[in-house]
Amino acid sequence: MKVVVCVKQIPDPALPGELNPTTNLLKRDGKLILDESDSYGVEMALQLVEAAGGGEVSLVSMAPNNEMSGLRTALAMGADDAILVSDENLAGTDALGTAKVLAAAIRRLSPDLILAGVESSDGYTGTVPEMVAGVLDLPSVTFAKQISIDGDTVKVQRQTEAGYDDVECKLPVLLSVTAGVVEPRYPSFKGIMAAKKKPVEALDLQGLGIDLNTVGLVGARQETIRVTEAEERESGEIIVDDGDAHQRIAEFLGELKVI
Amino acid sequence: MNFDLTDEQQMIVDTTRKFVESEIVPAEEHLDPDAGSLEPHDFERLVTKTKEMGFYGLDIPAEYGGPGLDTTTRALMAIEMSQHRAGLYNPCYGVFGGAGLAQLYEATDAQKERWLYPTLRGEKKGCFALTEPSGGSDPARAIQTKGYKDGTEWVLNGSKLYISGADKADYALLFARTSDDPGRNGVTAFIVDTDSPGFFVRRVVHTLRATHYATELQFEDLRIPEDQILGEVNGGFAIANDRLSRQRIPYAAGCIGPAIKAQAMSIEWAKSRETFGSLLAEKQAIQWMLVDNEIDIRHARYCVLEAAQKADKGLRFRTEAAMAKLVATEAAGRVVDRCMQIHGGIGVTKDLPLERWYRELRIRRVGEGPSEVQKLIMARDIIGGSFK
Repeated sequence: MKVVVCVKQIPDPALPGELNPTTNLLKRDGKLILDESDSYGVEMALQLVEAAGGGEVSLVSMAPNNEMSGLRTALAMGADDAILVSDENLAGTDALGTAKVLAAAIRRLSPDLILAGVESSDGYTGTVPEMVAGVLDLPSVTFAKQISIDGDTVKVQRQTEAGYDDVECKLPVLLSVTAGVVEPRYPSFKGIMAAKKKPVEALDLQGLGIDLNTVGLVGARQETIRVTEAEERESGEIIVDDGDAHQRIAEFLGELKVI
Repeated sequence: MNFDLTDEQQMIVDTTRKFVESEIVPAEEHLDPDAGSLEPHDFERLVTKTKEMGFYGLDIPAEYGGPGLDTTTRALMAIEMSQHRAGLYNPCYGVFGGAGLAQLYEATDAQKERWLYPTLRGEKKGCFALTEPSGGSDPARAIQTKGYKDGTEWVLNGSKLYISGADKADYALLFARTSDDPGRNGVTAFIVDTDSPGFFVRRVVHTLRATHYATELQFEDLRIPEDQILGEVNGGFAIANDRLSRQRIPYAAGCIGPAIKAQAMSIEWAKSRETFGSLLAEKQAIQWMLVDNEIDIRHARYCVLEAAQKADKGLRFRTEAAMAKLVATEAAGRVVDRCMQIHGGIGVTKDLPLERWYRELRIRRVGEGPSEVQKLIMARDIIGGSFK
């Protein structure tokens, strides 16, 4: 079985991020790391291949400056190989442009299954996986919290607000994987030492056969027009127990639709 | 010197940092501030993880099944592994495993079967019994425990002081004077099971480390078969000196972790704490303390990495290891002291880890050879051995 995982490499969230004042886009010119939300997809892919008794896990990523630190982390976790798309004309690419690029890279690999995180931890559009499926004309199942493969069918428990839906779908398919469904393994010592030797195919737009006018700031149909400071968090309400605290807490949680 | 990390080293550092932040710190949060061990279920769970990661037994040489880390990578890991409350003396609470006593790698095959391999498997614990009431900085001359040969056995009488873990150890590596030579050429190393008749743990010696204690040992006609001598008779002192010097480097590196963490905490505190109408971070007195901390931390890091790189290149590194030990232990002590000052009242409480680091770092200036002995080592190298 061949599984492709879309992985995004993002600026370290532990460091203060910086926006480009002209484009309002996050600066990505420093070291990038593996987006933690994608590490769940990598782990899920490794587990599915192990359960299938063999196969291959390939990564697909788009990043500036041929940055591959985050890819190396995923390779050290156990992925077999990767495609990295890097091209200066990709700066400012919106969600749909990103999907076109990833789809073109995925098409080269002809996978049985494509996994992606639900949303990235820097852009948060939460739309790229489904757009990739759309470009590839494949079915997609969102918010997968459990996945099993049965022959040419994938069985998915799809997280919903009320619980989960059981969904079955023929392969090939794209699944977006929710965070926390599996525990991503740490890169092993052997994996770290082997990561650099694993094949990473570096491609630019020309190599992928993508029209320059459909990606980057030129091709973007989405624009960040304004950025405002997040409101400061307001102090919470303190409930003093006069014998009815449990009811008031239950009502509060009910308003939040938590219970 | 090139202080840039290789891609692999950077990934190992990142992995270790994530492990500490995601596994150790949360497991430590609900422990007593002076705890020396994790809850058993957490310990077992995390040991399973480090074994799966192939990082268990960090200091075990590759030929004995360890990862075979070079000294630089090991030092970089030590800097990361000590960045939590108990990190100075219990880095990651031991979930990365131990390596046993370095000297046992020089043992005979039979000795390795009996003591080294069970130690590497986690079945036996050893202790290192060198220091005596007469002194520890110059053990070659201070050792007064005497051994004489009686048939095929050696008979030992004497005492040892400040020996860690002897009450829980299965065996001890014990040094005794076995000739009239008053210096290092008259000392023999013995491997002794701690349940041998004549081996006594006389008392526990409490130290600045709240959950750790040393012991005082006494030997009364302790009989040791000849085949339990490690190395040659009267050659005990020269054993594994290279390995010991190498271990001094991660020992120094381990001091840098708490200093880095304390500095990060202090910067956060200074940027949020307001006094006299402005933030601490805006006051020059605080800014200079933070800058002095940064200088101390970087100085220590450079010294440690220089020593480690020389060791890895097979170059002479005795002076560099001594300098790293001296600089890192003293610098880290100063950093944590300033950080307590910046934090004020809360800095001296057990709500924060600063007070534990402050206490325990004081020991580091004495343990593994005090600062003055490190200077002695460096002076011999710089001026020349004939002036010793």
